[in-house]
Amino acid sequence: MSVLQIHNLSKSYGKIKALDNVSFDVPKGSVFGLLGPNGSGKTTLLSIILDILGPDTGSYSWFGEASTYVHRKRIGSLLETPNFYHYLSAVQNLRVTQSISQRGDDAAIDEVLKTVNLYERRNSRFSTYSLGMKQRLAIAGALLGKPSVLLLDEPTNGLDPVGIAEIRDLIKGLASEGHTIIMASHLLDEVEKICDHVAILKYGKLIASGPVQSVLADEDCYLVNAKDKLKLVAIMQNFPGVGRVHETTEGIECYFNQTDLDPETINQYCFGHQLVLNQLVQKKKRLEEKFFELTGQP
Amino acid sequence: MFLNIIKTEWLKLKNYLAFWLLLLATAISYPGINAIVYYGYDESTKPKNQSGQLIKMLVGNPFHFPEVYHTTAFLSSFFTFIPAIVVIMLITNEYMFKTHRQNIIDGWQKKTFVWGKFISVVLVSLIVTLFYIAVATVLGYIATPDLTKVDVFAKAKYIPLFFLQIFTQLSFAFLLGLLFRKAFVAYGIFIFYGLIFENVAVAFLKIKTKQFGGVDYGQFLPLEISDRLVPIPAFIGRFNEADYKIALANIDKHIAYSFAFVLLTWVLSFYIFKKRDL
Repeated sequence: MSVLQIHNLSKSYGKIKALDNVSFDVPKGSVFGLLGPNGSGKTTLLSIILDILGPDTGSYSWFGEASTYVHRKRIGSLLETPNFYHYLSAVQNLRVTQSISQRGDDAAIDEVLKTVNLYERRNSRFSTYSLGMKQRLAIAGALLGKPSVLLLDEPTNGLDPVGIAEIRDLIKGLASEGHTIIMASHLLDEVEKICDHVAILKYGKLIASGPVQSVLADEDCYLVNAKDKLKLVAIMQNFPGVGRVHETTEGIECYFNQTDLDPETINQYCFGHQLVLNQLVQKKKRLEEKFFELTGQP
Repeated sequence: MFLNIIKTEWLKLKNYLAFWLLLLATAISYPGINAIVYYGYDESTKPKNQSGQLIKMLVGNPFHFPEVYHTTAFLSSFFTFIPAIVVIMLITNEYMFKTHRQNIIDGWQKKTFVWGKFISVVLVSLIVTLFYIAVATVLGYIATPDLTKVDVFAKAKYIPLFFLQIFTQLSFAFLLGLLFRKAFVAYGIFIFYGLIFENVAVAFLKIKTKQFGGVDYGQFLPLEISDRLVPIPAFIGRFNEADYKIALANIDKHIAYSFAFVLLTWVLSFYIFKKRDL
């Protein structure tokens, strides 16, 4: 079952098309990463599904129903920046969140403040907080009352490395409890560590979506090595079904269009051409690499 | 729904020092302006000589019951710009902190957000009206020599009229805040428009009444619509009895105009907030 279904969403700002016919589903219980370079339409998309912006065309549904404010109460959200009343303390701000969303109570407010390590400063005014503390409070607001869906836009913004690790563990913990988490992030390493599904946007268009492994695994990559590297490159370039072949500091990287290639076939092929391999490793492609490849960035 | 809105708006305001300080400033300014005028009146009419008696005869007893309700309503209305800061701040703060977005993200409908502000403007108008009632009552008791000889509440109709006037003008201030989103812009426009532009426009349109088919279009300007709910007090009206009587007779008409203006202001506020991307 899908928690969120997006159908052909489009949104323009004047001549600029921020979103162009985007459609995808977010499965229940998934940790869904929304990726894309700056200006790709991530925040526009999240703003539309939170009713902050109206789409030009298209629709979306939460929990299998046409979206209403009732659904938003069930979603803990952090969109772009931490938005709180500067003159109120953390506790007073979360009471406003609690009053509007009807999620949690005073005990739950204390609990989330402890979770994000802000409990000691709970009575300090928001305006006195550092950037990282503001971000933590925004995460606390999203976590209040343990909503079944969390929507986090760049949740690790402004956090130190310890904070980033804590949030990563927190998200993993929530995911293991069955919460659905939708996360937009620039930190591809983080997304790869946490997410099981991704959608990649570029210039407002959806260029890939689905389970992380299926988005990554559209081709195989092997790292091979031999004493005679020039001959190895020449031989591999003639391998049936081979794509790119290029030399790196580690060895020769060969990309194959098929995804079920047996390494034994490569070994036999090289041996048949009088070349003995001293290294043959299947290389797992990293999300970062795939992201740059799809978005055409370096 | 409304209980939840009131509770949430209260949570936003109860620990907001600037809000309470500005209300305190209003609470001080109302007795301030009225006390100054009363002191001037008292000093001028105190002498038992001919001049004192002449002034008393000329201006009457503006601070005696029941006329005090009219006089203090008129004098207090000069300080609408202080509660107007409060109201403009209520909406522009939300834009500045982006909490208007967060309120919607957390589960409010856009109309719920505007209802929250409507309730806050009603609340501020009520508080300000209470200040006015307190000032009028205290001054009336101080100034009226014999309470048994007057009908204390004969002009208490100025209490709801004052409330309607302040609510109409604060609703206009709110609309400016919603439209311009930045406090200094909205407040600058409110002050410039209220203190300078509209006064000039009202005077100009009054002169041009004959050219506009006998209609004084100045009466329909945003602040003038409700300014005419509380006309000049009787002691000033004595200098032009005919105009004073017309002004009193037009109050009922301006009650209807003010209600229509309030309705228009809030329908526009709901519409703008609903249609605008946040």
